Amino acid sequence: MPVSNSLRSLLPVLILLVLFALVPLLSPSNRFLSLAISAGINVIALYGLSVLFGQTGILSMGHAALVGIGAYTAAIVARDFNVGFWLSIPLAGIMAAIVAALIGVPSLRVSGHHFVIMTFAFGQLLSIILTNGGDYTGAASGLDVQQPVALFGLSMDVLTHYYLMVVSFVALSAIASWAIINSRYGRTLRAIRENEKLAASLGINVGRHKIGAFVVSGIFAGVSGVLLAYFLRHISPSQFASFPSIYLALMVMIGGARLLLGPLAGGILVAFLPELLNLDPVQSRILYGVCLIAVILLLPNGLIAGIVAGWYRFFDRRPVQPNEPAVEREGK
Amino acid sequence: MDVLLQQILNGLSIASVITLIAVGVTLIFGLTGIINFAHGEFLMVGSIVTWLAVSNGVSFWLAIILAMIVVAVMGFALERGLFRFTLERPTNGFIVSLGLIIVLQHIVILFWNANQKSIPRPLNTVWEIGGVRIASVRVMVIFITAAVVAMTFVAITRSRYGRALRASVEDRDTAALMGIPVRRYITGVFVLGSALAGLGGGLLIALFPITPFTGGTMVMKGFAVALIGGLGNLTGAVVAGLILGIVEGLSAGYGFSGWTDAYSFGLMILVLLFRPNGLFGGTSGPKMA
Repeated sequence: MPVSNSLRSLLPVLILLVLFALVPLLSPSNRFLSLAISAGINVIALYGLSVLFGQTGILSMGHAALVGIGAYTAAIVARDFNVGFWLSIPLAGIMAAIVAALIGVPSLRVSGHHFVIMTFAFGQLLSIILTNGGDYTGAASGLDVQQPVALFGLSMDVLTHYYLMVVSFVALSAIASWAIINSRYGRTLRAIRENEKLAASLGINVGRHKIGAFVVSGIFAGVSGVLLAYFLRHISPSQFASFPSIYLALMVMIGGARLLLGPLAGGILVAFLPELLNLDPVQSRILYGVCLIAVILLLPNGLIAGIVAGWYRFFDRRPVQPNEPAVEREGK
Repeated sequence: MDVLLQQILNGLSIASVITLIAVGVTLIFGLTGIINFAHGEFLMVGSIVTWLAVSNGVSFWLAIILAMIVVAVMGFALERGLFRFTLERPTNGFIVSLGLIIVLQHIVILFWNANQKSIPRPLNTVWEIGGVRIASVRVMVIFITAAVVAMTFVAITRSRYGRALRASVEDRDTAALMGIPVRRYITGVFVLGSALAGLGGGLLIALFPITPFTGGTMVMKGFAVALIGGLGNLTGAVVAGLILGIVEGLSAGYGFSGWTDAYSFGLMILVLLFRPNGLFGGTSGPKMA
């Protein structure tokens, strides 16, 4: 893919993010900023998940557990070694990457739906371990994070500043994800997704690349975990159990995993839709569930890809890229 | 020694409920290929129906039959409305079922809040034999489960419908050519499994109070047991269910109650890794055409 063409996919994302960075000028409410920050933190993890799912075709239903690893790493190194925000980002990224690699190892032996079930079980297992970790992990009540966050002497604990920081992290992860998609590495991952046996016969080390994709998505998840821990200032195991994992999968499915705009759209839609429709948490969860089912059955490429495809069909033009279902085409 | 016997007995009654779920899972997953993680929510709905019926003065025995019927109807509607579209892509079915978990749980919360729900015990007699207290309600649960599982076993292995079902798992196309209505059998298995989950829910609430979130952990145990026992293998599911129930009962009795849920997850991961067809052999899901 020529650079000019591939830049075209990154540009809309960056323009959107610049617009988002200007939002504080409109003096939005604190509630809006908080929602936007949580959405942004999710989007970072989603960019990682889209490398794993969209590019490599491996679905992880336990991804929130990796975010949890990042968050707990940040909280524990802050407590035990007095490590601050900035140093804990690489530490958490490394920890989450290691755990992601461990979760990825079974993918060499187990594939298809069995592996998806396994990732789900891994996520559950992790939250049980955190709950039973005693004082070290703070058991069911979790851990507090007290360290202040500062950049060049400027306190990041002001909500607007934290918002801007999260937006820039989202921009970084979008760029990183774009760089991966348009690299030789990304092309290898897609080759594995499309036909694992063919890829292997061309000399691609399928196992190493699969685990590599897990590691990459783990780094994203770890970083988003640190941002989450420092934003909420308190973390507990239930935040990283099965529901958050299902929500992450929902967001990536709604947005579409293969387009660069997908994770951004998914994260924002899922965060703001209940607010827009004025739903209480219980109703909004029902809505999420219904959306997930509807997207899987009706728009397996995600909402954005569906809209794009509809646009092209409406104007009777051929889409730039063939749109096959992103979800799964097993059924051998 | 008394503690040991007591915990084994307690473990057996939990094992019964797990086995009922696992039998449903092993039939549905093993024979139709539908991965329904919302199966635990079917169980929870069964509990809620029993609770509603009993609180409105219906007798417990009628209530569990009602629970079975309601959940079976729900299973029929969901299979026809959702899961039939995912038959060729099991992973999509799995994701649909995860969405369904959220929907069912929160619909229940919406109408009947998230608090614990319990019913008065249908049987109150407690026998005491050599220092071991045997609650008759637990014995009742064990017996009902044993009877129902035995009936299912005979139906699947001995009746001509069971034979037709197994034939359609073995080779859908040939079975269809022989005049077996394969689609209808898939629906039938799903409805049967759902009814068993409904029954399990009714029995569960007779033992413990339940919440709308009870299904989540129960279904993982059901899947763990079904996978350990080998998919589609009823005997395997019963044996694995007994083992898991007793291990959980013992570990709760000896002070590791926080870890009881971890065994099923851990075991399931190990079994999928090293024995994908289960310890006792089974299908690894039906062969897709």
